[in-house]
Amino acid sequence: MALAMVAIGETRTIKELRVKEEMKRHLQDLGFTVGEKVHVVGENASGLILLVKGARIALNRGLATKISVA
Amino acid sequence: MSYTIALAGNPNCGKTTLFNGLTGSKQHVGNWPGVTVDKKEGSYKKDKEINILDLPGTYSLSPYSAEEIVARDHIVKEKPDAVINIVDGTSIERNLYLTMQVLETGVPTVIAMNMMDEVEKRGDFINCQKLSEILGVPVVPIVARTGKGLDALMEAVRQAASEEKRSGQLKVFGEEIEGAVEEIRKYLTEGTPEDQQWTAIKLLEGDEIILDSLRPEQADAVQDIVRKMDSRYNGDTEAAIADKRYQYIGHVVKKAVRRFQAGHTETKSDRLDKILTNRVLALPIFAVVMYILFAATFSENFLFIPGLPSPGVWLAGVVENAWGALTGLVEGGLTSLGASDWALGLVLSCMDGVGAVAGFLPLVLVLFLLLSFLEDSGYMARVAFVMDRIFRHFGLSGRSFIPLLMGFGCSVPALMASRTLENDKDRKITMMITPFMSCGAKLPIYLMFAVTLFAGTNKTFIVFGIYMIGLLVAVLSAFILGRLIKGDEISNFIMELPSYRVPTLKSVLIHAWEKVKGFAVKAGTIIFGSTVLIWLLSNFNGSGMCGMEDSFLASIGNAIKVIFIPLGFADWRASVGVVTGWIAKENIVATFGQLFGGVSDEVVEAVSAGEEALPAITSVFTPAAAWSYMAFNLLCMPCFAAVGAIKREMGSWKWTLRAIGYQMLTAYVVAFVIYHLFGLFY
Repeated sequence: MALAMVAIGETRTIKELRVKEEMKRHLQDLGFTVGEKVHVVGENASGLILLVKGARIALNRGLATKISVA
Repeated sequence: MSYTIALAGNPNCGKTTLFNGLTGSKQHVGNWPGVTVDKKEGSYKKDKEINILDLPGTYSLSPYSAEEIVARDHIVKEKPDAVINIVDGTSIERNLYLTMQVLETGVPTVIAMNMMDEVEKRGDFINCQKLSEILGVPVVPIVARTGKGLDALMEAVRQAASEEKRSGQLKVFGEEIEGAVEEIRKYLTEGTPEDQQWTAIKLLEGDEIILDSLRPEQADAVQDIVRKMDSRYNGDTEAAIADKRYQYIGHVVKKAVRRFQAGHTETKSDRLDKILTNRVLALPIFAVVMYILFAATFSENFLFIPGLPSPGVWLAGVVENAWGALTGLVEGGLTSLGASDWALGLVLSCMDGVGAVAGFLPLVLVLFLLLSFLEDSGYMARVAFVMDRIFRHFGLSGRSFIPLLMGFGCSVPALMASRTLENDKDRKITMMITPFMSCGAKLPIYLMFAVTLFAGTNKTFIVFGIYMIGLLVAVLSAFILGRLIKGDEISNFIMELPSYRVPTLKSVLIHAWEKVKGFAVKAGTIIFGSTVLIWLLSNFNGSGMCGMEDSFLASIGNAIKVIFIPLGFADWRASVGVVTGWIAKENIVATFGQLFGGVSDEVVEAVSAGEEALPAITSVFTPAAAWSYMAFNLLCMPCFAAVGAIKREMGSWKWTLRAIGYQMLTAYVVAFVIYHLFGLFY
């Protein structure tokens, strides 16, 4: 499923990053790699707030729909 | 022996705090990514031979935004004698990702394990000794905020730099990738073995900047190898490399870090975020914060209490009175010394010019203090995120919000902050519209008109109105420019949200002072210089001293005033004001003070008393023309300092001229519309 669908408080594992090369690199730099766990701590009209590798990261909904998790 | 030491680390890891601690300098530390957009230099306070460079924060040595290129280029090309890699111990895995890449460059490295107090508070334990053994470089625990561990850190750095010990290569990637790296290296001829090793890894990661720097035959051979690897790793060698790094980090952390509690426990920042970034509450809260920000600076009925001046207005009154008294003393002194009329005229004229600006400094100070507080607290990053949804409608990303908000203070740092925007189109548009955010220097213009021509109207209403015009034009411009400028569509929003912290009084004061100092220095130099020039030009012509109407300045103003006929202010003094405004926008008030015969400290006093300041203005400006004039000066070309910043950030004259051209055209059109539209009502 898409990361955008995950409810607050849940933790999921990243399956795939369906984004352009550059964004993929940036996501990896920030700790978003396949197999990594993400914890959703908040959401609003803009997007989600996640915890990845101990850091709090905000991303917009559009990007969150391109990250598949399980 | 003198050394150059570079500080590298993730955004928000405490790099600038460490820099200040080591150099004793007072650089501003913000609590959102991208505070350090350029490298800063200083020397170690306990050994001036050691030169320390603060690089912009970066998550990786594969640059994503313009500021990150600065960090990478320095480490790889200019080669400091050693790098201090600051690691935030509270998110050690993510931070070590950059460490892995710094070590790959082979440059002598010392790791500063920062935020050790936070780590302890969580009940976690980081074994720096163990880490150092595994990574092969010194790891020194520090607390940058309190200065703990800095001596030990610098001792390790001195040793690393003097031994020129290259950090050893770690076995991170496994045989297959290492093999490909070796193979690529065969085609690389330039640089040391360490350089080649690093370059080969970057090429395997698909780094386009480096690929473009190769000769065609080199590039072909390298691309063959990369393609071979890609087919081995499902078309994504880069991801495989990132994976290997993280796997290695995972293994390192397992050995050297002990966690009190597995998983995430809710922190204070999480609880605050539940309110401040809440789906429903976020925007209303932000609106209230903005209202308080402006009310505390400009309001005469602060907190809706009639007659209660805001801190800004109150302070302005104090400074104006003091300056007025000083001018009186100087005047008395000069007269008793028997100074000639023209000398007296010149001195008083200059004091007035400078005083007109000095009187508004307190307002700027209060505005900056509050903006600094917001920046340091960590709230700005949240606002950027919350605003993303709205900005997207106008074709901008929420990240543009920070430069735009800073634009209310001063356009120059705001334009520099636009460097954190990774999307080129986004960045260009943001830079073109940032000057539409009315900067502190433009405020005196509105206040001057507000008290003279609109004495019956609420001052706050006039000021607020003109700020709104700027905002509206900025929004419309983003929309129009988004269609005119070619480039990728706005990028996705992704930003680290730092933990909230209560800014220390010291850091807020330092930050605000740094900015206000700029204004104060400007008042004493540029403004002073141009008041002298304007006094000379307005009191002389080819045949000597003359009346103002026959002066050089009048001829200049008369020559250009025709342009402004459609805008309603075809007066030579108003035209001269526009031109002096390009030197510095505060100049406009100083110029008016001189040319409209009013003594500017009287202007300033009248402003604080809410009286007509420059009655002579009424003979030239109708209310509609005043609105037109305010709008024109708000929107037209910013001051030369800001134009310089646009040129630096755009990196091209073509785009700089386009930006200025767009601003001029917009100013003209908007002022025209305002003049004719408002003429129907007044």
